[in-house]
Amino acid sequence: MSEMKPTPDDSVEDIDAFIEAAAANLHDRKEARRESWRLLRRRPSFIIGVVIMGFWVVCALVPDLIAPFDPLDYRTDINASPSWPNIFGTDRGGRDVFSRVIAGARDILKLAPPAALLGVVFGVILGLFMGFLRGWFDTVASRVVESFLSLPVVLLGLLAVTTLGKSNLVVMGTVAVLFTPVVARTVRSAVLAEADLDYVESAKLRGESTPFIMFREILPNVSSPIIVELTVRIGYAVFTIATLSFLGAGPPPPSPDWGSQVSDNYNAIVSGYWWSTFFPAMAIASLVIAANLIADSVQSVLEGS
Amino acid sequence: MRRFILKRLGAIVINLWLLATIVFVVVNVLGGDIGRKVLGPTAKAEDVAAYNALIGTDKPMIQQYFTSIKNIFTLNFGNSYQSQSPVIDLVLPALGRSAKLAILAFIITIPISIAAGIFAARRQDKLADRVVVNVGLGSSSIPEFVTAAVLLALFAVHFKVGKVYANPPAGTSIFGQLEYLLLPAMAMVISYFGYIARMTRAGVITALHADYTRTATMKGLPPGQVMRKHILRNALAPTITVISVQIGYLFGGIVGVEKVFNYAGLGTTMLNAVGKQDIPVLQASVLIVGIIYMASTLLADLLIAYLNPRVRLDAGS
Repeated sequence: MSEMKPTPDDSVEDIDAFIEAAAANLHDRKEARRESWRLLRRRPSFIIGVVIMGFWVVCALVPDLIAPFDPLDYRTDINASPSWPNIFGTDRGGRDVFSRVIAGARDILKLAPPAALLGVVFGVILGLFMGFLRGWFDTVASRVVESFLSLPVVLLGLLAVTTLGKSNLVVMGTVAVLFTPVVARTVRSAVLAEADLDYVESAKLRGESTPFIMFREILPNVSSPIIVELTVRIGYAVFTIATLSFLGAGPPPPSPDWGSQVSDNYNAIVSGYWWSTFFPAMAIASLVIAANLIADSVQSVLEGS
Repeated sequence: MRRFILKRLGAIVINLWLLATIVFVVVNVLGGDIGRKVLGPTAKAEDVAAYNALIGTDKPMIQQYFTSIKNIFTLNFGNSYQSQSPVIDLVLPALGRSAKLAILAFIITIPISIAAGIFAARRQDKLADRVVVNVGLGSSSIPEFVTAAVLLALFAVHFKVGKVYANPPAGTSIFGQLEYLLLPAMAMVISYFGYIARMTRAGVITALHADYTRTATMKGLPPGQVMRKHILRNALAPTITVISVQIGYLFGGIVGVEKVFNYAGLGTTMLNAVGKQDIPVLQASVLIVGIIYMASTLLADLLIAYLNPRVRLDAGS
């Protein structure tokens, strides 16, 4: 990509040529984006990922249209095995497992993507500063990033939820903060590769401000690793938030949240009631796999592997 | 080599200090009144004050900070609020039990996933390769507790293979314990297989295309020797790094696995501490996991430096 970037020449006569080159470059970039999109749509794994993800998004938006019963409603039979009309059976509270699985999509999807996005935004800002400013700031920040990475996210999450209180905001904020170092590390190395290129040098010579160079010049050129990182982080956010809610940081029992459902019902597996755990567990698995299929396809297309 | 080790040890000391700082900020600065947290909203104000005095959280913030930094280097984590006994006496035995589970998981994972990685790399882009890559991608993306719950339902309950509760009765022999630990260990094997297999595959593919491999083949070395002495020696460095990182990170996943199988390891200890607001226990567990992570990545770096002279020379200069 980088060789297509125009560099302003000192001579005034070339200014028209420069503008033309800049326009052509913009056009190329649009073309490249269209091409990536076309390649992406051709990948079966991307399509499968989008279909599964799309299904859960629809469930999260309009659960009542799909779920046959009220997910919180106590039906007559408790722990009834899967059969019509309770196709996934009922749980230990006699609630319809299928309806609860459908309704639970909302609990995870309202937290995981925003947490991932927030983490990526923080990480991009930190990574841009680290990679562009370098020097002592980079040295100190890199050390802090490394020590954050030495702890499993789930453990720090547990610690944070215990000391700061159990709420959606704390879970989302914690996951975002814990993703920041990982994202920052990726963005930092992408920025380091860009920082010595001619267009950055010429922007400096033009007297552009540091924020302008970072956010208007470098940022658009490191967008590929950032998009990849965002798609990867969504998968991890689902993974982390589901695990945290299984461990007790999620909404309390009557809620149809998937992690909480597994936590509420897994002790009944011993008595043979596997369905009330199995179906929400499969829902979690399908959502993480869908997110990873999308992330993997995006990564292959943008990084050309 | 000595310089290399000293340099890495210095980095670890700084990392430990930063780690203790992060935990301190989360617990003591953002967390607010610890005594109130531990004793609950209904406790009397003088009890809260007495508890804060007991654990030292009534002192000025800066003094608390220095104490907590000192504590991580001396492994002194104070007393558990629940049992009043030293936290370390509670955490270490639990850590031992978790380690038993983790070691079993790695004994199974490492050979299987390295073999699968080599197998896939030698059949790059063929069906077998795609199967290994995609199974690895899928299995490692599913949370450990989900895999554990499915294994529990399928094997322990349906097929009656393995145990529902992973705690072996006292006095069970090592081999007797295997039956208890097998299913939770398998849940972890499934989770970590993918990372290690994919990293091995990538390393072997790079090494297969390297000049030194071509030279070795051209000079007529038998294929087995090329594989062992030239390809694996180079290709396994990233795999060793991934394994060492997994050793630290597995303590995130093991919590869920222990909960599903009711296993009395570090994870269960932490969950009990969460339930009882026993912050000193939780704090110590998190710090110890951080120390384990640093120790295992240090060992991995040493191993890589031992295998590859280029690494230790680069770091020394």
